[in-house]
Order: sequence, then structure tokens, then C-alpha cells
Amino acid sequence: MATKPETGESIRRERRFSLKEIKGKAFEGILVAATLVGIAALLVLFGYMFFDAVRPLTASAEWYLLFFATLVAPTSAFALYSRRHPAVRRMNARAFAAVFGGLAISLAAWVVFSATGPHGLLLYVLLASISPLAVAGYGKYVERSMFVGPAMVVVTLVVLLWTLGSEVLVFALFDLVGLLFGWIPVLGSLRPPVAPSILVTAVSTGGPTLAVLLYLLRRDSSRRSFAFVPVVAALSGLGTAGFDFWLQPTVDLLPDWVAYLGLVCLPVAAVVAVVVARRAAVRQGLTAGGAVIAGNLAVGVIALALSVDPSFWVVLFSGAVVPVGYVVGDAVVANRKGRVGLLGPFVLIGGVLFGALLEDVINATGPDTWITPTLLLSTWNGIEPTQAGAYAEIVGSIMIVSVMALMSFPVGVGAAIYLEEYAPETGPAGRFANFIEINIANLAGVPSVVYGILGLALFNNFLDFPPGIVISAGATLGLLILPIVIVSAQEAIRSVPDSLRRGSYGMGASRWQTLRNVVLPEAVPGILTGTILALGRAIGETAPLIVIAVPVRTSTPSGLFDSGAAVPLRIFASAANAIPAYRKGVLAALAVVLLALMLTMNAVAIVLRNRYQTDGN
Amino acid sequence: MSQQRDTDAQSLQRPEFVVRKERLYRRLLAGCAALTIAVTLGIILSLSGGALTFFGEVSIVKFLTGTNWSPLVGTPEYGVLPLVSGTLIIVVGSAVVALPIGLGAAIYLSEYADPRVRAVAKPALEILAGVPTVIYGYFALVYLTPILDAPLPIEQVIIPSWLGFSVPIIPSWLTFSVPIIPGGVPLLPEFTLVVSEFTLVVSEFVFVIPSLGAFNALSASITVGIMIIPMVSSISEDAMSAVPDSLREAAYGLGSTKFDVSTSVVVPAATSGIVSSYVLALSRAIGETMIVTMAAGQSPKMPYFPNVLQNFTDSVEVMTAAIIKIVSAESLGQTATYESMFAIGLTLFVLTLAMNIIAELVRRRFREAY
Repeated sequence: MATKPETGESIRRERRFSLKEIKGKAFEGILVAATLVGIAALLVLFGYMFFDAVRPLTASAEWYLLFFATLVAPTSAFALYSRRHPAVRRMNARAFAAVFGGLAISLAAWVVFSATGPHGLLLYVLLASISPLAVAGYGKYVERSMFVGPAMVVVTLVVLLWTLGSEVLVFALFDLVGLLFGWIPVLGSLRPPVAPSILVTAVSTGGPTLAVLLYLLRRDSSRRSFAFVPVVAALSGLGTAGFDFWLQPTVDLLPDWVAYLGLVCLPVAAVVAVVVARRAAVRQGLTAGGAVIAGNLAVGVIALALSVDPSFWVVLFSGAVVPVGYVVGDAVVANRKGRVGLLGPFVLIGGVLFGALLEDVINATGPDTWITPTLLLSTWNGIEPTQAGAYAEIVGSIMIVSVMALMSFPVGVGAAIYLEEYAPETGPAGRFANFIEINIANLAGVPSVVYGILGLALFNNFLDFPPGIVISAGATLGLLILPIVIVSAQEAIRSVPDSLRRGSYGMGASRWQTLRNVVLPEAVPGILTGTILALGRAIGETAPLIVIAVPVRTSTPSGLFDSGAAVPLRIFASAANAIPAYRKGVLAALAVVLLALMLTMNAVAIVLRNRYQTDGN
Repeated sequence: MSQQRDTDAQSLQRPEFVVRKERLYRRLLAGCAALTIAVTLGIILSLSGGALTFFGEVSIVKFLTGTNWSPLVGTPEYGVLPLVSGTLIIVVGSAVVALPIGLGAAIYLSEYADPRVRAVAKPALEILAGVPTVIYGYFALVYLTPILDAPLPIEQVIIPSWLGFSVPIIPSWLTFSVPIIPGGVPLLPEFTLVVSEFTLVVSEFVFVIPSLGAFNALSASITVGIMIIPMVSSISEDAMSAVPDSLREAAYGLGSTKFDVSTSVVVPAATSGIVSSYVLALSRAIGETMIVTMAAGQSPKMPYFPNVLQNFTDSVEVMTAAIIKIVSAESLGQTATYESMFAIGLTLFVLTLAMNIIAELVRRRFREAY
């Protein structure tokens, strides 16, 4: 027994000066250095740009003192406090998400809507939502409502396509008839007896109605299903003829702020109503939704009384005040634990406001930074660097990213679901799925500039779109991130435990029911994480945009079919500018803004993933 | 009995509507998956369509073997070799930066780092891959090139003047004879002669790096290298983490140190993953566009031969940058120059596709199954 420690000692003593030991230490040192080089490169990159963009040395000592006293000290004290109380920390995270997420989303929505004008968008929202709502309502009314799910999807697609396409179709038919019978003397000189608008109306309403009627007659359906016929007639009439001759003029008559009410307030109210109704009861849900609408109307009326344009305030109320109100209300009524955590974001905001007030009072000089409201809110100025801003580019980037997300998210998630849940291992379908997987892996490695060439050939040359419009930019980048979205969605779906699926099947659920009610709700955080990361990466993509000829412009894009603009393009275009105030001032600030955006998206994704992982365990 | 089973089966059958609904959803989802094949087909069609028109006007042999690329000036010439060599220079430069650093980081993260360090360091490294490339390009052009171009000794750059003293990074006694660019060493036949001359003039050489142009391959390739570090480190680290612990334990049991285990057990076992990460990272470097367009400039040239280092101090043009240049040129119409962009794109696509396939094959073929 006594010899044991001795031998240990002797072994250690022997090894202390051995060559091996030194070699191992040196090797470890090299490895640490290699890791640090990467991280140091990141810090150097951020450091240089931040230093030039913010110019921290131009601030006075008093300013820093103020900065620490009003901002750093209170927020870090609060953070330390909440670290020790898990309930407070959770509530704090929710409050931060509600306040800053709400602010960010409502500001982004505002800049896009105000650039494109609310009326056109409202029209499309109405068109896309009326028909599925009608189907859903009908489904509530009949007993066997299995059809509601697919019918809502199909109806929305059909109405949108028919609305946009029926007019083209009718006029193409006219042309065809003219081409076929125009040579016959009498027929050629005949004109349709009614105005084209009425003809379009008749064809676009009658076509689908007749189709449905014939289908029902041939299938010998029950009398009840004939209730569909007037529904279809009304829908197609409303959706097509009504679009041009009734709906559009009416919507255009609405004052701006009422259009914003329809565009922002109604969807938010609907979401709130559904969420509350799921958690409590239908009646409370309706009350909550009604409260949101009433609040919005109140904001509008107050703004009108003060003779301010209520549009912005309505959007801000729906996008930011309502989620904050929901979280606060929830904390007061249901989750009383850790309510103090709600104060987190307000400590931060209060600190900023109080600091700004004191800064004026004691006359402290802040840093002479390039990141100013001018940079974010005014358009580019090539002569006066202090007047240069990137508002148009920021709006363009937001629009492109929205188009990209709308296009790649459904397709990517759908493909991932197919590959993970439906595709068999063997047989022709199995080989097909295997081939698709290999194909996706290869697509992920294709250089971004090649996607640009694809966009150029597809949108600019083949479809003959004007060069560099928002929708082709968004679609090109959407194709670029599609493989990333698919792979991350696949991983998220794969990580849902099989026991859950088997439990669902065991209770008699079909494959789709299992997917919708069990697998997807579990996988959503993972899917969102991957999508946000992909979007964060695509926000800085430049090469494809240059190839499809997105211009560097100074006015905001006025719609999806107007030429786009993007922040990275501005950086590319101005990097060769020799004037130092641009080269190391405005551009550094823009780069910092872009980096901050990317890092924020990464952070959101990581927080989401961590939360999801802890919830799963 | 069988009657009973039949009715049971019938009652277990789903209503026809549900079956059709399920089929509809499956087809919709399969359509989403098939769209990715449409994307590949679209890429191939759009590239080869333009490239075929181009090869109708310029012979493919001339394109692949020509040593002059001047599509926009004078009589256009379309030799792709200068562009390929430019790409090669960038790839070599970035490989020198990224491959050792990435491998070192991967070994550290997989074998040495404790879990808490790894939880911070791995995402931090991966941020490097997410930084927009246009920002890297801006950094290389505006910040890195002036730093590299500053006259040596380096301390003037590294140590700010307000510190009041300077630390010589390169001690003055070292500056006597490091001929970085000995003004063009002639080819082999005169080699001996050169050496004698060389020894004579040694005292006149000082530590000189030829001054960099505003656009140069050096800063571009260093930046591309930094960008691809996380590709190497992440994929290699995954491969090393997949090496089973039993191998490590066996090696420790035989008296190995951590160094031995890392270098002679883990790295050899993970070779296939490491090699495939290298190939993938280099294919990313080939396809990189913004950094090289902004920082390496747009002057296509064949490589300088024995004086290899000058390739890095001069401006080069790579394939991706040539595409950007053609696209940015005003109103080309459907000329051969415009179509040449598709030919370069096709070359690029084939090259990166081949590298990705090689990486996958290496990973599959040489994977040690445990």
C-alpha cells in the first residue's frame, strides 16, 4: 500500500522533463494558436471596421462615464440578477423577444409597405384570404369536414391564378377566334355584342361554376354538395371580375391608414384571437381580437384628432404594442412567476433615453460616429458623406429577403418532409429519393455566381423580366439557399423521436395527420433555426445580384416588379471610392450594419435552438 | 373466421377521400423535392445553352488553350488559361492559410479542448463562414492591403505611435540576407552562375517585400483562406469526433501520450474526412466571387514563372471576377463576349462539381467503418 504513491511520484518525476512532454506541450500550443488565429481574424475584422465606423476615441470621458452609469451598469446588474432566477430569466427573454422582435418586424413592415403603397398589397391579401376563409366557414357548417385542409390550399391557388390569368386567357381566346374565323367576311367584321369587361366577367365567373356543376352531376353527388355551386360562382365572380371592376376601385378609395388597418391590424387581431382561443376559450379569443381592433381604431382616431397621419402609428401599434401587451397580460394573468423579468427591455430603453437626456444636460460629447439616423433613413449622397444614407438599399434588402423566405421556406420544408417521411428506402421511388439527396448535396456546392447566371438566363432572358427586379432577385437567392434550408429541415425532422410517430400511428392517425399534429410541431424550432441561418447568409450575397443586373439606385423600389436594391451592392459599388470619408467612414458603417444584422440573425437562431433543445430534454 | 377478418379489414380501411387526400399531399411534397432536380437542370441548360452559342463562334480548343483573355478591348481574345491560373494562385494562397490552421483547430477542438471551450470556439469559428463575402472583399481592399503594403520593419504598423516605443518584430540583424524576390532568378542552365553572383551581392539585399499593388492576389487569397477555415475545421472535426473512443483508449493503454494519440491514431483514422474537407474548402475558394473581384483586381495574366512570389503581389483576374466584369460591362447584346460568360460559368460549374464529387467519393471509399 505504501509503495503505490511512491511509484506514481516516480513516474511523474520521470516524465516531467521528458522530450515527449515538451513535444506534447508544443503541439498543444500550436493547436491553440491555430484555433486562436481564426478567432483573432474575426476580432480584427470586426475591430477595424467598428473602430472606423463608430470612432470611439472622439467621445469625451464624461460621455463614457454617462454611458456606463445609465446603460451598462443597470443592464448588467439586471442581467446578473436574472441569471440567478430561472423564472425571471425566462420572462426576461420573452419580454426582449416581444419588444425588440415586435419593433423590428413592425419597422420592416412599415418601410416595405410605405415603399410599395398599401393598397395593392391589401388587394392581394384579400384575394388570397377570402376564399380559404369561406371554405373553412363552410367546413364548420357541414358535419364531414375532411376536405377543408386540401380545399383551402387548392382554392387559394386556383383563385390567385385564375384572378391573375383569366383576363389574359379571355383576350387570348378573342385573338384565337379572330385568327381562326377572321378570314370569313361577315364573321370577321362582327364585334362581341357586349363590353369586354362584362365578357371577361361572364367567362371568368361562368367557367369555374359550370365546371363544378358538371363535375357534381357526373359523379351523382348528394344534393347537399350542390351548395358548392353558388359558393364557387360567388368566389370566382368576386375573385376575377370583381377584382378589376369592383374590388380594386373600392380598395383604392380607402384612405392609407384604413388600408394599413386591413393589411396589418386584421391579421394580427386574427392571430391573437386564435392564440387566446386555443389557450383559454373561444369567447376570450374573440374578446382579445376585438380589443386589438378597437385599440388600433383608437390609435387611428387619436392620431387623426391630432392631425397626424395615423398609418405609421397603426403599424407600430399592431406590430409592437400588441405583442408586448400580450406578454405583459400573460405575465399578469397566467404566469405570475418571475414577473420582474418583464422589466429587462425597459431598463435598456430607459437607460438609453435617460442617458440621451443627461447627455444634453451636462453637455457631454459623444463619439463622432458614422452610424447615424442619416445613414439608415436617407438616400445615398455621392458628394456629401455626412448626408449619405442607405435607406433605399435597406428597403430593397428587406423586400428581397422577404421574397426569398416566402419562396424557399415552403418548398424547402416540403422537400425535406418528403425525403424524411415519405420517400421509401428501396425501389424506383427509393432510387429517386437517393438521387435527389445527392443532387441537393451538389447544389449546395455550386458557386453563387453560377446561380446568378441561372437567374439571368431564367428571369432576364427566358421569362423576359426587366433586368434586376425585386422578384427575380428574391427568387434567385431563394434557389441559392434552397439546399441549405432543405438540409437543416431534414435534420430537424430526423431528430423527432420515432416513438412519437409510432404513438400517433398507433392511435389510428394517418401519415399526414401524424406529420401535421406530431412531427412538424416538434420540428418547427429546428426548421426555423436553419432557415434563419440561411437567410442571414443570403442577406450579404452580392454576386448573383450583380449578375442579374440589380442596379445601385438611390430611390426605394416601388414594388415587386420594380428594380431592386441591396445593401451589399452599395458596399461593392463604393469600395473603390478614394475619398477617405466614404472609404473608411460611410462604408465601414454600412459594413458594421450588415454584420450586426447577420450576427443578430445568428444569435436569434442559436437562442431558438438552445431553447428548443432544453425544452426537448 | 375469414369472413370476420374481411369485415375487419374493411372497417379498418380508410375512407376513400382520406386516401386520396394523403396521395395528394404526398405528390405535392414529392413535387417540392423534384424541384431541386429542376434547379440542377436549369443550371445545366442555361450554362450549356449560352456556352454552345459561344463555342459556335470561338473554337473550344482555342478557349481552353488560349493564353490571352481580353474580351472587352480591341479584337477580343478568349483564352481561359489566364483566368484559370489566376484562380489557381488564389486557391494555392488560401490553401496555405486555411488547410494547416483548419486542421490544427479541428484537432484542438476534437481532442484537447474541454467541452465548454468547444461550445464557444466552434460557433465563433463558424461565424467566419457566415460573414458576407462583400465585407471580406471590402476588408481585404481597404484594410488588409495597406497593412501588408506598409514598409518593413513591421513595428510601425503593429505598435501604435502613441505607445511611445517600438518593438522590432524583425530584429535588425536579421535583415541582412533574406532575398524574397531576387530580381528574377534565371532558369536552371545558368543556375550555378547565379548562385555565385548571389553570394556576392548578398550584403546588398535587405528584407524587402515588393510593394503591393492596390489590387493584389496576396490579400485576396489570405482573406479567402480565412473565410474557408471553418469549412476545414468543422468537417474535419466531425470526422475526428466520429473516431471511436476505443481506439484512443487502446493507444493510451499502450502508453501513448495525447500527442501520439492525436497524430498517429485519430488523424490517420479520420483521413478520409479531412481530405474531403480540404477538397470542399478549395472548391469553395474556386467559386468565391466578391473577395477576389474586389481585392485581386481585374487584370488577367499568365503566371510569372520562376519568380513565383510576384504572382501574389500583382493583380490577377479569376474566373468568377471575369464573369462579374462582363456582366457589368454596358450593353453588350448577344455578342460572343456576352456568351463567353456562360462558357466560364460552365467551366466553373464543372470544376466545382467534379471537386464535390471527388470529396464525396473520398469520404465513401476511404472511410473506415467502425
